[in-house]
Amino acid sequence: MSLAYRMAAFARRGTVLLALALLALFAISALAGAQTKKKIGPAAPATTGALTVFAAADMQPVFEVLGPYFQRRTGITLKMVYGPSGTLSEQIVNGAPADIFFSADYTFAERLVAADKADNINPYPYAKGILVLWTRKNSRFNPITVDALSRKDLKSVAIANPATAPYGRAAIAAMTKLGLLQNAAPHFVQAESVSQAGQFALSGNAEVALISETLAYSPAYKAAGTAALFPLSTYMEIRQCAVVMKNSAHRNEAHVLLNYITSDPIQDHLADLGLQRFQ
Amino acid sequence: MDTDALLLTLRLAATTTALLLLAAIPLAAVLAYATTRWRLLLEALVALPLVLPPTVLGFYLLVGFSPLTALGRTASTLFGHQLVFSFAGLVVGSVLYSLPFAVQPLTAGLRSVDPRLLEAAATLGAGPLRRLLRVALPLAKSSLLASAVLTFTHTVGEFGVALMVGGSIPGVTRTLSISLYDLVENAQFAEARHIALLLLGFSTVALVALYTAPLFPRGERRAS
Repeated sequence: MSLAYRMAAFARRGTVLLALALLALFAISALAGAQTKKKIGPAAPATTGALTVFAAADMQPVFEVLGPYFQRRTGITLKMVYGPSGTLSEQIVNGAPADIFFSADYTFAERLVAADKADNINPYPYAKGILVLWTRKNSRFNPITVDALSRKDLKSVAIANPATAPYGRAAIAAMTKLGLLQNAAPHFVQAESVSQAGQFALSGNAEVALISETLAYSPAYKAAGTAALFPLSTYMEIRQCAVVMKNSAHRNEAHVLLNYITSDPIQDHLADLGLQRFQ
Repeated sequence: MDTDALLLTLRLAATTTALLLLAAIPLAAVLAYATTRWRLLLEALVALPLVLPPTVLGFYLLVGFSPLTALGRTASTLFGHQLVFSFAGLVVGSVLYSLPFAVQPLTAGLRSVDPRLLEAAATLGAGPLRRLLRVALPLAKSSLLASAVLTFTHTVGEFGVALMVGGSIPGVTRTLSISLYDLVENAQFAEARHIALLLLGFSTVALVALYTAPLFPRGERRAS
């Protein structure tokens, strides 16, 4: 086809040039790599490589605040991977190289125990999640209450996929309990995770979103909108649990992180980040 | 098997193909016959979706057509509803995303038409439009078919844009590829297997048909 032909012609004309450019790129990246190694090397002598943390999407704002403190305190570097809990646990079951997994519920953490990936027979609870209804500041639903979901002129409601995201499941439960589901369901826009659900509303594409309070408390969402709490009795407790992988080469560091999150000073601070103490 | 998703995917692919063929004919004609230097710029722009990640397109659709922007509000009044999270939004995304698959084969086809035939038509008094529609296009019929098949199959295989601006609404934006993604995420491999097999079979058959078609020329070609 014409593009292929054009590229072939270009390649013939510019093979030498192209090879030189590639070589230059390699040289630059190699140099850059060597430099970063030099920088990191002496600074963090206690650790061998970084801790790979798989965390539920609702934990992203939390780790963005706590991560730097933790790294400075312990010298342990964190490599964060965020996503819907169901997706992450599925990936770990299939061999994804996580050292520790912070699920947004009990079930997906327990799945790793069942798959014989965990170093303990029980997932470790570390926080309780809170479900909110979020809308932009200029939204016609302000002042926002959950009753916005009963309005007949509702157009779009973003929720996380209930099959893979615990907050999506809680959203369905809460709306069912409050008798709002029938009115809201035809307007559902399903996102793959709670953070995509939030993004749909933050970008103004969806009118409201059912998301975690952690997200609603993060700077971007705080600046752009307001949130209303769902009564805690309307959905099953979002008991967020973590699992440390038994095959991890960084099990000790993983437990250092887990102990840090479950320590009293951090647990006392959770309310500011949109979570509740786990006990 | 998710029949809603299947029907939706076919509807999306058919709509996209129809719209793109209409757009591709004038575009390909310009690319094949225009003599200005701007033609090269246009050709590069048309080829852009080949190399651009679909997420770039998804991002611009989300941000550009959001009700917060004038463009988004204009689109909303035009379509009667907002573009993101709707079938129309997917069509817009797919048309942009499959553009090179419609234009490039047709351009190549039009370029391979013997210029002497076009000149002969011109001496007989045929204008540029008539030369295109009555001489060049009929001779490039197989390229037009290739454009249609590639556009259709590429739209069936579209995923990234639908994931970013679709919202996985059953019967509206949950296409087969999105349905497959949801099933895999949810570890429903048995159902996922059906969809994956269907898509694999469909694409294989379509491409085999496309590549073997020139081996079985129709009777009318004998004359030339």
